[in-house]
Amino acid sequence: MSENRKIVLSARDIEVQFRVRDHYLTAIRNISLDLYEGETFAIVGESGSGKSVFTKTFTGMLESNGKISNGSVMFHGKDLTKLKTDKDWEGIRGAKISTIFQDPMTSLNPIRTIGSQITEVVEKHQGVSKAEAKKQAIEMMERVGIKDAANRFDEYPFQYSGGMRQRIVIAIALSCHPEILICDEPTTALDVTIQAQILQLIRDLQKELGFTTLYITHDLGVVANVADRVGVMYGGQIIEYGNVEEIFFDPRHPYTWALLSSLPQLGVKGQDLYYIAGTPPSLYNKIQGDAFAPRNEHALKIDFKQEPPFFKVSDTHYAKTWLLDPRAPKLEKPEVIRDLHEKIKKMTDKGGAFHVE
Amino acid sequence: MSNNANDREVIVSVKHVDISFDTGGKKKFKAVSDANFDIYKGETFALVGESGSGKTTLGRAIMRINPCSAGEITFEGKRISGKISKEEDRNVVRSIQMIFQDPAASLNERATIEYCVSEGLLNFHLYKDENDRIAKVDKALQDVGLLPEHKSRYPHEFSGGQRQRVGIARAMVMEPKFIVADEPISALDVSIRAQVLNLMNKLKAEKNLTYLFIAHDLSVVRFIADRIAVIHLGEIVEIAESETLFEYPLHPYTTALLSTVPMPDPLIEKNRKHKVYDPSVLDQSGAPREMKEVRPGHFVHCTPKEYDEYCAKADRLEKEKGVR
Amino acid sequence: MDMENTNLFEFAEYDELESEHIAAPRYSYWKSVWRTFFKNKITVGVAVLLLCIIIFALIQPMMSGYSPIKTPNINNSHLKFLKPSPEHIFGTDHVGNEVFDAVWAGARNSIIISFICTAINMLIGIPIGALWGFSKKMDRWMIEVYNVISNVPFLLLAMILSYVLGAGMRSLIITMTCTEWIFVAYFIRTQVMIIRDREYNLASKCLGTGTWTMIMKNILPYLISVIMTYVSREVPSLISYEVFLSYMGLGLGTTNASLGQSIAMYTSYMNGYPHLFWIPVSVLAIISISLYIVGQRLADAADPRTHM
Repeated sequence: MSENRKIVLSARDIEVQFRVRDHYLTAIRNISLDLYEGETFAIVGESGSGKSVFTKTFTGMLESNGKISNGSVMFHGKDLTKLKTDKDWEGIRGAKISTIFQDPMTSLNPIRTIGSQITEVVEKHQGVSKAEAKKQAIEMMERVGIKDAANRFDEYPFQYSGGMRQRIVIAIALSCHPEILICDEPTTALDVTIQAQILQLIRDLQKELGFTTLYITHDLGVVANVADRVGVMYGGQIIEYGNVEEIFFDPRHPYTWALLSSLPQLGVKGQDLYYIAGTPPSLYNKIQGDAFAPRNEHALKIDFKQEPPFFKVSDTHYAKTWLLDPRAPKLEKPEVIRDLHEKIKKMTDKGGAFHVE
Repeated sequence: MSNNANDREVIVSVKHVDISFDTGGKKKFKAVSDANFDIYKGETFALVGESGSGKTTLGRAIMRINPCSAGEITFEGKRISGKISKEEDRNVVRSIQMIFQDPAASLNERATIEYCVSEGLLNFHLYKDENDRIAKVDKALQDVGLLPEHKSRYPHEFSGGQRQRVGIARAMVMEPKFIVADEPISALDVSIRAQVLNLMNKLKAEKNLTYLFIAHDLSVVRFIADRIAVIHLGEIVEIAESETLFEYPLHPYTTALLSTVPMPDPLIEKNRKHKVYDPSVLDQSGAPREMKEVRPGHFVHCTPKEYDEYCAKADRLEKEKGVR
Repeated sequence: MDMENTNLFEFAEYDELESEHIAAPRYSYWKSVWRTFFKNKITVGVAVLLLCIIIFALIQPMMSGYSPIKTPNINNSHLKFLKPSPEHIFGTDHVGNEVFDAVWAGARNSIIISFICTAINMLIGIPIGALWGFSKKMDRWMIEVYNVISNVPFLLLAMILSYVLGAGMRSLIITMTCTEWIFVAYFIRTQVMIIRDREYNLASKCLGTGTWTMIMKNILPYLISVIMTYVSREVPSLISYEVFLSYMGLGLGTTNASLGQSIAMYTSYMNGYPHLFWIPVSVLAIISISLYIVGQRLADAADPRTHM
């Protein structure tokens, strides 16, 4: 599958450091990732895992005390890590690579009308006349599901609900026809009933416009909903990646096991939920071996000494855990996530707790 | 109220409570209207709704932070809303405690963990001497899986999950009877949530507690709650036992909320229907709505016409799934 | 080697509580404040300079015994209006007194008065302001009191008080505190209102914590930094108030030395003997600026966001 598909963006050995006071903290430790044209890749991780920092290297939006200390990001034959000024980024950031953030208000200007904010982007990126830009902006608003778009064109962001605002942010991000759309927790700040609609909207637009989507999320439900491929991040590294079915039905890294097992959806009332003790690693300490080892009840002695390499599970599925080494003892994934599909099917089929008629 | 009211002791009773806020102008914003339910001793009662549904407002009314503009709230049979005597106030403060949503915001950053956990003890002088106080703090920390050595630390030195456990220890040290937990896990990292849920269940069993668990996520609620009330725009639309609500959801809003629970299965989740709640499916005749018991212990907010529909729906679901 | 390698692939022992330990060294608020403060060399330099000035201003007048009404050299014209020289460091003035003595005696009084007034204003203003910010009932009438007092012209008040109480240190202190505290209280009120409704205060309320404990434990510790900023502006501004009032003749009176007194006295000789005017003004400026810098840096250091 990967051989014959076109790679749109290729990150190699990315390392990102932050200068905090007099220390250098390594937030991203050697991540490589290829994005294929038209796919949806989801990066899952907790806060502090570095998932947002990593994708900010694609748009040059690292905080001023951060720098890419190693690696390259190739996009259209250009190494994005070499770009410095805003002028260098022109035509890429917000044009070929757009981002949607968690809080729509961070991307909207509260004192300008919705319409003018979309029109501005259309005018700038497509060099069309004002009238034409307005026409396109209204079209875009309709496309993202704003009813009565022509009348709501001159309203201000505060007159829109949270879900509506996020639709507008999507409209702005897409009105410059990006090749890559980065969605950084796009639904976390929204109500549960709105979440699914926004995800569906992004998916529909992707089908229509053919861009590549990169999701950043902590929510495995969102991942299951949208992703073709998944990368699981922990302690500044991708520790397992593969097709979405492989990650959910055949996970290999103990951290992926733990994440899946601790979902309350899988909990049985009256019994304890599976849980991960401890806390994610602090970047202040140097990480030795496998970053997850101190919280891993299945940790091997070697996990504390030596960082595991990526082991191949299938052509598309790789995991960074010593458990896959031939010398390691055989270990099955936890009971709760065995036969996951059957279990979930039971829950969602007629008579199940989450059946929707 | 329901058939098991006879053999179960009511601990908190919310009776036809309205809560309004001044919005500056003449109009008052009604955050909760006609909330009416009982919470039984020893159960976990969940209040589920989206942001703006009034669930937190109602929880805070029980904590006596928000005043009720109509109706009353009782605790162990005594009214606790409105003005009450000083002595009763002390009793209620001790007996009803709260766990907050955001552990980063709800701990005093300038105080040590020892002070944070002792605060209630100090206020009510619930200890014999200094040694006893320290012993109680140590015990409370150990109960929530923290270490006595954490006493001299400050909240910002802890991770989110640890901080939330400090928040739980601080409430538990008062030996309360009833706990209002306002979205206690939604601000936590996914890998930490399960631990806090387990802890809450453990403490409930050990200390014979009753919880009001406020949440927006039905998957969490299914795991932790015995009974569930679904609240939408300030109105409770459905109350039922947890299993009943999931197996026989009657109100269209409940069904919509159910459909939004994401399932960790790409094959199923990608094809799952996500229902959008459309209030126009309700009876538009303008007939008054009230909570009616469709099945024993299963209440729905409805007009007489809707009541018949819900009864029919319950019949149908029962036939499909086998009688309950 | 092989043996070792296979052993490495055994399961490690796992202790759940192990992951609860906090590796970072213990945090102490005040230690961190001082560490942050002393990290900046310039700040330390200014602080040392300020300390020297204050100590010198407290000691030197005791040795010189300067008083503006003592004029032993008034008839010795050789000792009048001397330029600064090794024998007369700041030179001498129109009555043949050492300007050096006059300036330090003045600095002493100005510093003492401004410190005492600041202390009084803070001691009254902070508790009242804290209660004011906390209680909505109190806010309703306090704001009226504030409106009335803040509209009384300060100079008018100073003039009336100096007529009623006479000149002198006591009356000057009363003048500079009798209304000033309400501005401190108002400032604290606003700060308290900002953090009053934060969730951790709600949590304390749910634990039955009383208003006063809440102020002492929840509110004031958060305000250390802003209070320090306020003090670092208040002290120099009270020094200049003192100078201003003394210059206007409403201050300490002619019998007491003060920087304002000296400046007022020497202004008339500005054309012929400019050093007479500029020396006390410079000393005033150095004291005010260094007080301000040290205060600001302390306030910065007291903000936990700067602790790392």
